[in-house]
Amino acid sequence: MAQLVFFNVFNGLIVGAFYALMALGLSLILNLSGVINFAHGGFLAIAAYLAYTLIPHVGFWGGLLLAPPLTAALGLLIERFLIRRLYRRDPLYGLLLTFGLAYVFEDATRYLWGAQSLPYPIPASLTTPISSTYFFLTGYRVFMVFLVAAAVGALFLVLKRTRLGIRIRAGTHDLETVSVLGTNVRILRNLNFGLGIYLAGLAGVLAAGMLGLEPTIGSSLIMPSFVAIIVGGLGSLPGTLLGGLLIGVASGVTTVFFPSATEAVMYVMMGAVLLVRPHGLLGEPGRAQ
Amino acid sequence: MSRLRRAAPASLAAVLLVTMPWWLGAVGGYTELATRIVVLGLAAMALNFLLGFTGVLSFGHAAYFGLGGYGAAMALKYLAPSDALAVAVGVAAGTVAAALIGALIVKLRGVYFAMVTIAFGQVFYFITFRWDSVTGGDDGLTGWSRLPLRLGPLALDVQHRDLAFYYFVLALFGIAAAVMGAVLRSPFGRTLLAIRENERRARFLGIPVERHLWLSFVISGGFASLAGALFALLNNFIDPRALRWDQSGNFVIMAVLGGMRSFWGPLVGAGIFVVLQDFVSSRTENWMSFVGLFFVLVVLFFPRGVLGVLRRRASA
Amino acid sequence: MNSLLAVDCVTQRFGQLVAVNEVSMLVAEGELRAVIGPNGAGKTTFFNLISGLFPPTSGRIYFDGKDITALPPQRRVALGIARTFQVTEIFPELTVRENLRIAVEVTGGHRLRLWLRRRAEGEIRARVDELLALGGLGGKADRLVGELSHGDQRTTEIMTSLALEPRLLLLDEPTAGMGDQETYAIAQLVRRLHRERGLTIVLVEHDMRVIFHLADRITVLSEGSMLAEGVPEEIGRNESVQTAYLGGAR
Repeated sequence: MAQLVFFNVFNGLIVGAFYALMALGLSLILNLSGVINFAHGGFLAIAAYLAYTLIPHVGFWGGLLLAPPLTAALGLLIERFLIRRLYRRDPLYGLLLTFGLAYVFEDATRYLWGAQSLPYPIPASLTTPISSTYFFLTGYRVFMVFLVAAAVGALFLVLKRTRLGIRIRAGTHDLETVSVLGTNVRILRNLNFGLGIYLAGLAGVLAAGMLGLEPTIGSSLIMPSFVAIIVGGLGSLPGTLLGGLLIGVASGVTTVFFPSATEAVMYVMMGAVLLVRPHGLLGEPGRAQ
Repeated sequence: MSRLRRAAPASLAAVLLVTMPWWLGAVGGYTELATRIVVLGLAAMALNFLLGFTGVLSFGHAAYFGLGGYGAAMALKYLAPSDALAVAVGVAAGTVAAALIGALIVKLRGVYFAMVTIAFGQVFYFITFRWDSVTGGDDGLTGWSRLPLRLGPLALDVQHRDLAFYYFVLALFGIAAAVMGAVLRSPFGRTLLAIRENERRARFLGIPVERHLWLSFVISGGFASLAGALFALLNNFIDPRALRWDQSGNFVIMAVLGGMRSFWGPLVGAGIFVVLQDFVSSRTENWMSFVGLFFVLVVLFFPRGVLGVLRRRASA
Repeated sequence: MNSLLAVDCVTQRFGQLVAVNEVSMLVAEGELRAVIGPNGAGKTTFFNLISGLFPPTSGRIYFDGKDITALPPQRRVALGIARTFQVTEIFPELTVRENLRIAVEVTGGHRLRLWLRRRAEGEIRARVDELLALGGLGGKADRLVGELSHGDQRTTEIMTSLALEPRLLLLDEPTAGMGDQETYAIAQLVRRLHRERGLTIVLVEHDMRVIFHLADRITVLSEGSMLAEGVPEEIGRNESVQTAYLGGAR
């Protein structure tokens, strides 16, 4: 029993790390541009399939390295030619446009790679369990946890130390001032969008190794990412990270005791958080209004 | 004059709707398609009560639509063989859910409101999906069907005659549209317009904004669940897709496409959407790409919608 | 004399910044009070505290003897406090008539009604017409407010506030951004409301001509604190006020 609980907590942590990685990208875009990127899951799926196609040529590590930036490049283009046109309009239109893109992406992956699920090749060195007692602790899972942690650490470092990161954070609070101080807001939003998509791409490649490849891989991860942002609090990236991990672990634990409520539990958490703190656990009160 | 201007679109809509089975048939449609347009049009108009006339975006209205459908289906399957009871149960289920969710979210605004409504919509999707002993799970709820209507000695066989069912649906649609229109023209309806136009001013006129938003949310969710109940009766079937987020998105695009600042716009949008869907999905497997591109094009080139553009032309 | 509004030692902090620092003020029934001060003196924040946009960090506010410190805006409106904003807050895509009508209906207690009796309908129409005439907006009644001139928009906002039948009207820079003619028209309107209807008015204003033309008494704020208070003649002679203004101008 203890082992089962441990297994599911660990599993929940991994799933939560995916949610968080994806939600962090969504959050970056939402905070700076005010757009809910419904196509985020679609980008994630494209990165995963792209890696799948690249692996026979460049190997597992090459795929992991190349697919996310290629997807981010697609993101830069989409922002430049479509999403940018909507910043001054009602948020409704950004939501509808990315919603449409999500449809197109999902259908495109189905058209290009087929509707059936595909096995994602992982190097043999990573598939063996680390210990026989904790058989579920494969090298891949442990590796994934470390990689997500490293990616999140790198993201926070970028936001804290680099010129781009400092401007993104400043723009989140007061875009007008940042613009007056001489930053090109269009470029800032473009790069920020690319950064968000890069994170989605990374999450996609990693998730494919664990969940396998299906065209719906993106749309099944997007809702939990929304919940992670809401639970963690709008405008707070640490909140988003916390939210993702919390709902992941909560789903993991629920799987043990009440399997049919695995998905519902995160929505219950969201309701409880909204009831007590409408702006989320670490969010700023003003942003929700 | 203003009464005439108000009555003209409503009479035109009435004439077109009453005759729809014929003229739609003449251009290659069929009665069931007409019924679907009216049902989904009602759902889009219900959503637009909130979106176009109160100024807040719910991206999770499929939840109340779907609950209406499941309420109706389960009432027929488990409770009693009565269409009227089925509709009543469906509306009650959806309205209660809207009241509960609404109370949690009325303090939120803008994109945040939209995001929370999307997420909450999914709760009901997972409940119907997982609770398969009662809801039939992923396969949907089958083993029931709508029944002939009986009013004393009068009987209307809506079960086997599609045309009879169409007029049954249209009658309920007419009542719903009349009620929504009357509410919007009332003092209460004007407070909703006030909130849409300028929330701060509304507050400083003494309107308790949150309470009025909640009422609007409940009314909107209630009519969406009526549409859902009729949708289940139409198909003699309901499955979790009726309350998934993509269905919510469809309602929003119908409202935008038809023109969200006009009362009848969403019905026009639903008509275009349903006919296109019927036409395209019978010819290609890539309906999703098509509808996705359709969303993108509407947003980029047609944000005011059909009636929005027509009205602008007329006043210019 | 009876004071309608009593502000007792209110302070508002935003983080490190003290926007309003221990300001007290008594406004008598029927008085027209001007609040002036250089930019950044905390006038608008002070106004927001009185109208209830947010509660003060400390201090209390009384209206007609009742403690209203913690009441939200709509409750203060119900007690009889109405306000306008520096940036005009109206319903731009509705007509002037509809703007006024909403205010009249809410004031009449009809905000949750789904239909009106013929008599109530008649009363509401009469009241709206009366307000249209009072504001000189009769000819523009059926135009969308968003399409009107700046001055007419401001007049509409003042008339909607008046539709609430307030006992205290708060006007935040009613002539901001206006030409001479519009400024004069607004000043005349405010003067009429005060003189002919005996309305108690507190107004924040920049235009000194308007202030000295209208105000019974003047309160001067500087850097969040109360600098002086008195009748216009006293304030005009007050040296610290002159220093603050000239200092602020430089």
